Amino acid sequence: MEKLAKSLVAVLILLVAAVPLLGQQITAQPETIELRARMPENGGWSQEFIYGQVNVPIKLRMTSDDVVHSFALGQSSRPSVEIFPGKFSETELTFDQAGEYTFYCTRWCGANHWRMRGTIVIEGPAAAAQPTSVPPLFLQLGLDLDAPHLAQIIPPNRPDTARARGRTNALPDGLTVGDTIWSKSPEALWKDLKADEALDDQEVWDMVAWGLSLQGSPGWLAQGRELFTQNCLACHGESGKGDGVMVRDLPPMNHDKMGSEATRPPDFSDPAVLLGASPALLEGKIIRGGMGTGMPYWGNIFTSEQIRSLVLYLYSFQIELEERP
Amino acid sequence: MTLPKFISALAKPILGLTLAVLALTAPLSLPPTQPVERYFRVEASQFAYSPGVLQVNPGDQVTIDLVATDVVHGIYIDSYELQASADPGQTARLTFTADQAGLFRFRCLVPCGQLHPFMLGKLQVGPNLLFLRAVLLSLVGLLLVLWKKPLPIASI
Repeated sequence: MEKLAKSLVAVLILLVAAVPLLGQQITAQPETIELRARMPENGGWSQEFIYGQVNVPIKLRMTSDDVVHSFALGQSSRPSVEIFPGKFSETELTFDQAGEYTFYCTRWCGANHWRMRGTIVIEGPAAAAQPTSVPPLFLQLGLDLDAPHLAQIIPPNRPDTARARGRTNALPDGLTVGDTIWSKSPEALWKDLKADEALDDQEVWDMVAWGLSLQGSPGWLAQGRELFTQNCLACHGESGKGDGVMVRDLPPMNHDKMGSEATRPPDFSDPAVLLGASPALLEGKIIRGGMGTGMPYWGNIFTSEQIRSLVLYLYSFQIELEERP
Repeated sequence: MTLPKFISALAKPILGLTLAVLALTAPLSLPPTQPVERYFRVEASQFAYSPGVLQVNPGDQVTIDLVATDVVHGIYIDSYELQASADPGQTARLTFTADQAGLFRFRCLVPCGQLHPFMLGKLQVGPNLLFLRAVLLSLVGLLLVLWKKPLPIASI
């Protein structure tokens, strides 16, 4: 009888010891990272770096401490995840390639909203030889992004693609898709065409419009407009005049003294500003950002196709563009 | 013939009370206004609307453009149960007919910071009747205070 009691006590003690161990086994789950979003003035993302392994899911549990934020991955078609104060949003990320990825906030959360960016570092076996990416055209050409680029020649009327198409079926050689047109400002293109073609000034401008219209991939107009509305409009303004709600207290831009003080963005409704800038130059400005002017860099946020659409959309402040029928 | 004294003593308070009740409950019918289209550009910033008071007349066609100038804000109009939210740079528009007269609060719909619950504005549809009644009521009071002479009823 005494033996039985002793063994019973021993079994019970063993059970008590086993409970926490068993519990640990059962509740063990992939590590969840808690990411808090705050306005940049209050610290931005609670973690600037998130580390992970190739093909190991990263679980994010996110909440906001102040206003509405949103989590998105740069250069990715993954839909963004809204983050509301007082609520937790969860998402899971898996990367199949080692490398560094940018995450950022997509809802305007103050004047410094764009500073809300962080990096996800994925470690793992080095990826198989990646196709060497071609550097963007502005680097190949060695463009000086900060040089003044105001156009001297202004079209009599707004250049119009439809008008050019209505006039002729033949597109001049210089206007086909490619780096040639991408590296020339509309003004330079106009000068080249004017020398070759027997057309009047406005007709040549219409041809330039046609040529630019052909540079986008399908759906570029809608894509460019959407990107501009979501990301650029708060500073550049609805009319593109550079009078958006975030910058309207700043003095207008002085093209001769760029970078000397904080100013508004350039006025896209002034033909000289856009017609003197080549697509490659605008692309460079978007990729690199404004270097101290308050213009964020978008190189690791947008894909090169998105930037291309955006550049072409910018010209629509001055030129009547249309998508290929 | 004189009325009993207590009646003449009560006459003034009774008259005053009647006038006061009248001032508070009498149906005030103001000339109806011709409905017009009204446009408001309301700028929302932490933690206020500008303008914060919108005045329209019953029947007006109202358009409100909500412009957020710092973070995401929203608008919800009580009783009309209309709502919209705007990101900075992306104007939200509300269009409605002001078919309910009165004073309505509108409030921010999107959590926009610590003082978000206090981000309020007013939509005033038609004249402010409560204010008019208050003016009438104070006039009644003033009349009673200033009228020193015994009421004519006392000397019948």
